[in-house]
Amino acid sequence: MNSAHFTSGMGEHAVLITRVAERQWHAVEDDRVVGRGDASRRPDGRIFVSIDAWHGAVFDQLADAMLADLPKPLYTVVDEADLDLTSNWERAGFTTRRREWEYLVPTDPRVTGLGSVLPPPGVTMVAVGEAEEGPLRTLDRVIRDEVEATVGWQEMPAEVLPRPDGATLLDPSKYAVAAQSDEYVGLVRLAPVTRQPRIGLIAVRSDRHRRGIARALLAHVLGSLHRRGIETASAEVNESNGAAMALFEGIGARRASSNLELVLR
Amino acid sequence: MARTTDGIEVEGTVVECLRNATFRVELQNGHKVLAHISGKIRKNYIKILPYDRVLVELSPYDLTRGRILYRYRT
Repeated sequence: MNSAHFTSGMGEHAVLITRVAERQWHAVEDDRVVGRGDASRRPDGRIFVSIDAWHGAVFDQLADAMLADLPKPLYTVVDEADLDLTSNWERAGFTTRRREWEYLVPTDPRVTGLGSVLPPPGVTMVAVGEAEEGPLRTLDRVIRDEVEATVGWQEMPAEVLPRPDGATLLDPSKYAVAAQSDEYVGLVRLAPVTRQPRIGLIAVRSDRHRRGIARALLAHVLGSLHRRGIETASAEVNESNGAAMALFEGIGARRASSNLELVLR
Repeated sequence: MARTTDGIEVEGTVVECLRNATFRVELQNGHKVLAHISGKIRKNYIKILPYDRVLVELSPYDLTRGRILYRYRT
């Protein structure tokens, strides 16, 4: 693997930057690893990088080595409140591509106002874990194609993990769905994180939009969490998705933090 | 390639989420450190919450600071 030598300027010892694997770099000072860089390719083909370093100078040296070795564009994610890390990446030439808000979503119907929300006529809710896999896969494929044909998954906070054969990785135990006639028309994915479940995706077929199905799905899922004693869930929403932000803010969700996706083109 | 050693890794429990994306973590020996999350945790959208058990790498330059490398399943 490639190696490069740099002087850190932090002390008497030089820092050695070494590419220790195809997508891993180490910064070594006095035989001790003082920084790590990592690159990984997401299912959509984009390369995301990360650097952990105790000092900005080491960060810069790792970034120099990684950016020289990797093809552009490169992406990374930072917590917007982490000003040091954000400025480190900006120093390396990265700029903000998009922002996503993390919402804390109350589950109490007295707070959300969803207690009296019912599905539109002819639509029924299927509880988390009770959806049939076949129709769920069909709906997932329809929604996936619609997203790809419009904004694209790169704009979606939810990570999509295709199997190697291209089929969707889909665990029915994490989904509640809205059913109409003999098909599924909307879904919500709930990651069962202990103490604070995460709403990973909420989507309705485009030909069934504006009928209150997403709101009914939220009412169903949040109500079931509340009955289990869980007070809040979390959800990430892309800042450009005004409809989703309005949906969550309309039920009393509050912004807790924000992540920036940075890009170097 | 020279033999290298990783930093000091210790288990702890998150006791507080602070501003600037930092966490106060109480180590098994009772010491408390300020910790950021690692890049891999951030890239994978792993949420860190109070009471989470975590693996922390301590800074070789300042043992009151660390980096959360891993969140144990509870």
